Amino acid sequence: MGVRGMEKLREVGGFVLPADSAPVSVRVPDAAASWRLGRREDARLITGAGRYVGDLDVPGCLDAAFVRSRVPHGRLVAVDTSAATATDGVVAAWTAADLGDEVPLVPVYLATPGSAHRPCPALAVDRVRYVGEPIAVVVGADRYVAEDGADAVRVDIDPLPALVDPGEAAASAVQLFDGLDNVVTDMEFGDPVPDEVWQRAAVVVEGVYRQPRLVPTPMEPRALLAVPEEDGRLTVWVSHQAPHRLRDDLAADLKWDPERIRVRVADSGGGFGSKSGTYAEYLVVVRLALRLGRPVRWLEDRAESLLASPQGRGQNQRVRLAADADGRMLALDLEVDADVGGYPVGAFVPGETGRAAAGVYRTPDVHARVRTVVTTTALTTPYRGAGRPEQVYAVERTVDLLARRLGMDPAELRRRNLVPPEAFPYESPTGRWFDSGRYEQALDLALELADYAHWREEQRRRREAGGAWPLGVGLCMFAERSGLEQKEVAQEWAAIDVAPGGGVVARVGTCATGQSHETVFAELVARTLGVPARQVTLVEGDTAEVPQGVGTYGSRSTQVGGSALHRAALELIEEAKRRAGPGASYANGVVTAGGRSRTLGELAAAGEPLRVEGVYAAPAAYAFGAYVAVVEVDTELGVVHVLRLVAVDDCGVRLDDEIVEDQVRGAVVQGLGQALYEVMPYDDEGRPQAADLLGYLLPTIGELPPLTLGSTVTPNPNTALGAKGTGEAGCIGTPPAVVNAVVDALGEPGIQLPLTPEECRRAVAGREAGVR
Amino acid sequence: MSAGVPIRLTVNGTAYDVTVEPRRNLADVLRGACGLTGTKLGCEHGVCGSCTVLVDGEGVRSCLMLAVQAAGRDIRTVEGLAADGRLHPFQEAMSAEHGLQCGFCTAGFVMLVVGALDADPSVARDPERLDALLSSNLCRCTGYEGIRRAVLRAYGG
Repeated sequence: MGVRGMEKLREVGGFVLPADSAPVSVRVPDAAASWRLGRREDARLITGAGRYVGDLDVPGCLDAAFVRSRVPHGRLVAVDTSAATATDGVVAAWTAADLGDEVPLVPVYLATPGSAHRPCPALAVDRVRYVGEPIAVVVGADRYVAEDGADAVRVDIDPLPALVDPGEAAASAVQLFDGLDNVVTDMEFGDPVPDEVWQRAAVVVEGVYRQPRLVPTPMEPRALLAVPEEDGRLTVWVSHQAPHRLRDDLAADLKWDPERIRVRVADSGGGFGSKSGTYAEYLVVVRLALRLGRPVRWLEDRAESLLASPQGRGQNQRVRLAADADGRMLALDLEVDADVGGYPVGAFVPGETGRAAAGVYRTPDVHARVRTVVTTTALTTPYRGAGRPEQVYAVERTVDLLARRLGMDPAELRRRNLVPPEAFPYESPTGRWFDSGRYEQALDLALELADYAHWREEQRRRREAGGAWPLGVGLCMFAERSGLEQKEVAQEWAAIDVAPGGGVVARVGTCATGQSHETVFAELVARTLGVPARQVTLVEGDTAEVPQGVGTYGSRSTQVGGSALHRAALELIEEAKRRAGPGASYANGVVTAGGRSRTLGELAAAGEPLRVEGVYAAPAAYAFGAYVAVVEVDTELGVVHVLRLVAVDDCGVRLDDEIVEDQVRGAVVQGLGQALYEVMPYDDEGRPQAADLLGYLLPTIGELPPLTLGSTVTPNPNTALGAKGTGEAGCIGTPPAVVNAVVDALGEPGIQLPLTPEECRRAVAGREAGVR
Repeated sequence: MSAGVPIRLTVNGTAYDVTVEPRRNLADVLRGACGLTGTKLGCEHGVCGSCTVLVDGEGVRSCLMLAVQAAGRDIRTVEGLAADGRLHPFQEAMSAEHGLQCGFCTAGFVMLVVGALDADPSVARDPERLDALLSSNLCRCTGYEGIRRAVLRAYGG
């Protein structure tokens, strides 16, 4: 099947780039016309009638429990499962040796150089590389029994030295993979900044930042249920964001035709990137189910999730930024050591940090070097934002550093350097194409909504009067790549069928984990066709119903999947007119030709099935935003009080304002968690230090700051729908704004994420001691 | 595996005669033997509140109560809230105010709020008490604002 819509785009080196000129003209809907839909999903979810993987009642189903390494790094000497096998109710206990001649390997997200040489076995074979790594699996009549068995497995490991920090691991003589460097990839973006640029600059500032490891923590941990069918096929129920990739990965592991596997996504209790992969446990459970000929379910528990599920972030960053005396940025250099954990499964993520390095600024010389490094810690893979929050944080903190050095207002400094609207499509020095943006407009709105001048005045007043808690104002501006650039994922499959009775079924390859697709996408098709929304049903997340798809990640669903449905609906109208005969016209579900009017349903009843199916291209787009935080810091207790948080987001045309705001609010609160609370700490011996949700702190409603959301609308010029993505913006914009505000309050730029009371107290103590 | 104990659980007015091991928690027995899967397990260590049910009218984290402790007591779960085919006003309010996205924490929040506010609606008029109550549970999708608005909508804050 050819990809539709490519004729207006360009393809360069496997990337789909926006049109150079003649962009699609999009009508921007009046904000007052926002749909404000009631959610179709809610009827089942508010009554307890939702069906998540753990709720499915499958006769004869067994439960799996994993035995995991308690040692960060070591040689696996022996695994004894005999006591487990003897446990009442246990059906099987397996180690890697029981998995067959070839131990399944965990597929990498995107192949990066070096990943193939450092394979990640589904169960450890002769080495363990992080606490939580699966070593054995026990299957029992239910979860209690399976855990009894898992407790009875004896594991003997000869410890090896731990490597916790990516910078130290890069330089260490201890090798995680014998004979191979711990640095997996060493990527460069843009040309190195010439020495004379640094030398002639009026100002050069340098910042060093640490991105903590975050645990995505959807309320439902990972879950999968494999059901062997009598006809030799396999059904896999799963909580997942990308069912087609999972199907293809499982088929590749089993050496099966993908058609034999039906992946069905049940109701999903949140994903945030952490349910987009094909993980070790999935491969093992599928093999168990097939070998035993019985359904096997794995429900990750929270303790496992904190210990062993893939994490996000984890970077050491160093940024240098040069400017002239007027604050015009001359050069930016970003160095990143990215911690990919024990195996480079998600090593593509930090590449985004490098590719996006310039941010929203028209800096002429930009260079990034990103090393991905293995350490003896849990894997890092995409978590909401996936490389973008890291980039924005590094740049935005350094921009504030520059403003301080120049004695310039940070808003004014940003304003002087923004890529102007007329420069789009804009190619950055790191080779990224930005489609459209009106950054200054977003900044103006954010400053206005925050009452910026008032808070600056209040800050001045407090500084002069003394006594009160110090107050700070922090800004963050960002552009967020939404959708993806690589050709094979810069597209989505969609189909629309009209039944003879007039019912419309829309199918699309995206896959919601809470984002209201059933509501919004059905409405989008209904409005495009001009039929009542109740006539339209959306189907996604079932590979038997939706033969191909990319999924829901990278803020791509509405931008790419919504656009695909929109274009399929427009094509359906054309098809209806073609069938009705020459000179046909179409309005509100009725096609008229030669004095005869027929509904879509009547047309479908009259002949061939009325159906449109296609793969529709949509290149990456660049949503953007301006965030402002106002904080005061209790210098005695080290507690940060966020007095105001303003989030202005431009995600192009918004189909439903409320549902967009749902995404932004949720992401802002995750961003607040990242700024103030969340970190999975490891001790020097490589042991994770948070075992439960009292150790890994998530924001509750009690931590919510007064939040004001604002929007501007700069349509996506490359689709007729005009939408860009918005799922991740809140956790990109919030952390730098909050941290910049705290730095502004305390005047202590060395502070690092998360801003716990301890960290703030350290900063206060440093300030009081005059240490810089 | 230890021997099962026969108990009677009264859930949403219906008696369930079940035989359970003493170590099994109430959430697992509600979801398993009783087939009432509306109650969700989000952490199994009493922090997230997704498994909140009412026992004798009080909100309880059903992952922290053993099923045998609940024998003979009056248990209410999300499945028992609708009456005469009508949703509880707070369920309707949660939907109207976008108090949920993925829905996994929803039953816990609904039971927490219904248990506390049906007994004392004045909580809705006291922002501090309301925040203290809602801080009992975790949601990772919504950013909570819709849940707060839903309380005010249903209980007239």
